[in-house]
Amino acid sequence: MALGLDELLDTSGFIPHGVCLLWRPDILALHVGSDILIGLSYFSIPLALIYFVQRRRDLAFGWVAQLFALFIVACGSTHFLSVWTLWSADYVVEGVVKLITAFASLATAAALWWLMPRLLALPSPAQLERSNAALEREIAVRRQMELRYSSFFNNLAEALFIVEVRPDGQFVYEAINPALARATGLDAERLRGQPVDDALSPEVASAVLSRYVQCRDGGDSIDYEETLSLPVGERVFHTMLVPVKDADGRVIQILGSGRDVTERKRLQEEMVQTSKLATLGTLAAGMAHEMSQPLNVIRLWTENTLTRLREGVADAARTERALSLVIEQTERMAKLIDHVRAFGRRDGGGTQLFLPGDSVHNAIDLVRHQYSLENIEITTTSTTSGLPVSGRPLELEQVVLNLFSNARDAINAQRAAGRTSGRIMVAVVDDIDTHSTVIQVTDDGGGIAPAVLPQIFDPFFTTKEVGKGSGLGLSIGYGIIDRMGGRIEPHNIDLGGGRRGVRFTITLPSQPVPSRDWELSHA
Amino acid sequence: MPEPFHILIAEDEVLAAMALEDFLTFRGFRVSVAANGVEAMERLARDPADALVTDLRMPKMDGHALIRAVREQDNNLPVVVMTGYLTQDSDLTHERWKPLEIFSKPVNPRTIYETLQRMLGPVPEPQDA
Repeated sequence: MALGLDELLDTSGFIPHGVCLLWRPDILALHVGSDILIGLSYFSIPLALIYFVQRRRDLAFGWVAQLFALFIVACGSTHFLSVWTLWSADYVVEGVVKLITAFASLATAAALWWLMPRLLALPSPAQLERSNAALEREIAVRRQMELRYSSFFNNLAEALFIVEVRPDGQFVYEAINPALARATGLDAERLRGQPVDDALSPEVASAVLSRYVQCRDGGDSIDYEETLSLPVGERVFHTMLVPVKDADGRVIQILGSGRDVTERKRLQEEMVQTSKLATLGTLAAGMAHEMSQPLNVIRLWTENTLTRLREGVADAARTERALSLVIEQTERMAKLIDHVRAFGRRDGGGTQLFLPGDSVHNAIDLVRHQYSLENIEITTTSTTSGLPVSGRPLELEQVVLNLFSNARDAINAQRAAGRTSGRIMVAVVDDIDTHSTVIQVTDDGGGIAPAVLPQIFDPFFTTKEVGKGSGLGLSIGYGIIDRMGGRIEPHNIDLGGGRRGVRFTITLPSQPVPSRDWELSHA
Repeated sequence: MPEPFHILIAEDEVLAAMALEDFLTFRGFRVSVAANGVEAMERLARDPADALVTDLRMPKMDGHALIRAVREQDNNLPVVVMTGYLTQDSDLTHERWKPLEIFSKPVNPRTIYETLQRMLGPVPEPQDA
């Protein structure tokens, strides 16, 4: 049975609700007042809700609030209709409104239950407050750490820098500290974020980049000494690079620290110079003898010739032979003078490729005669194939001379104690496997007491009596060999027949350069 | 014709020994050369000399040792010493080594010759003088 809308809304058969209340004004007033108040309240709540949702755009589940608003408006409407139906019996309209309210309530209730787990998961304001406090504490700690580390970075005397290693192979300065800025004269602000190529002069950039590449490709810390032409002038740095890797092991950053050792190097060179002068002093006696020999020969031959000339019995052949001898002797003297002059020179010549055997033989030539007069025999074995080493030839010669001088002192001490002694054995050998040249100086001077063996390279350590040794010779020697990338090691050895001695082994890295090339370049 | 004086030169520097040998021979001496003390002692044993001219610093046996060895055998053999420098502890200036003269290198061969002539004299001195 279908009913039309008019029929449906036709409530002419009904009586208004007020009849039930017998039109008692007090009860009517109670119902009307309450329903109107409830309805007004219900209508105002959605406004507040919608206003809140509109203002708090970050609100989660804002649509639930809108659902609530609809439900509450519907509820409010039923209360107004309750008032209306007191006087006019539009119960169908009221029923429809209630139906709408029922659906809105149902939807809201269902939505609430459906959302419940997620709503519960939302942090409560108390929780939020706690986590906020924790975050604040964390921030405070981190601020403090940052302050501490930036204080380290900014106040340490060590020059520090951070280089970013870009995937495209570029190296970019992330930061340099004030100590580095002071030590180099570079501007920290200007350097930040600059590729190394742009930040530094081409020579300095190419020098430091080769080290950065070495650190990146090797993936390991490296440390080295470098001489750089900087805005503050030429400085020597002892630099250490530490690679920082990401999870895949790729080097993404290089941390660098550097110490200006220019002054220390200068002092070191001064010490080398002092020790050279000391060595010169001990050589002076020998030199006097070396010089007096050719001088004597010259005097004898010139007097000889002069006498024959004066007496008219000089013949041309004899005179020519005598004068040739004189010239030979002046050359011998000139060579000696040259050698001493070069030896005394401050820089001792520049770093170059040279044959270590040559330095050893020059040292032997300087002392062989003098030592033979003291019945100290120097024997040599050389099986070098002529691989050069890098360094200063005269410095190596100085080291070997110092070993000779120590050996001679030891031999004389042995003899003073009544024991047989008097041999210095020198060997120069190439070690192809390790690409190095080994120089061994062995004496039969009794050896070094094991207790003092660890100290012999210490500056100013000496076992000799006051005035005999500066205690600098071996420490300087150690420095020289170290700078050449080599090492020097002492060992006590038994030579058999009750003879004991010490063997110093100097190992120097060979330079893999075909000898023809460097001979040409150093000719 | 009298026999010429025989002079032994002990000197390890060959060119110096040659020059002195040449000069002294030219002046009429018979000259022998030894390269060190040991050789000199051997030579003296084989062929006694009238005077010794010696260097001090020589290998094997130096001038000091040679002079000591010579004096043990002959207190009157004239000795001329040629030296680069005299060490402080050398006692060669002492009376007991005489007849002995010391010259610093470089030496003048004429001085050596004149000294030898003076020490040897025109006529050999009596052995018990």
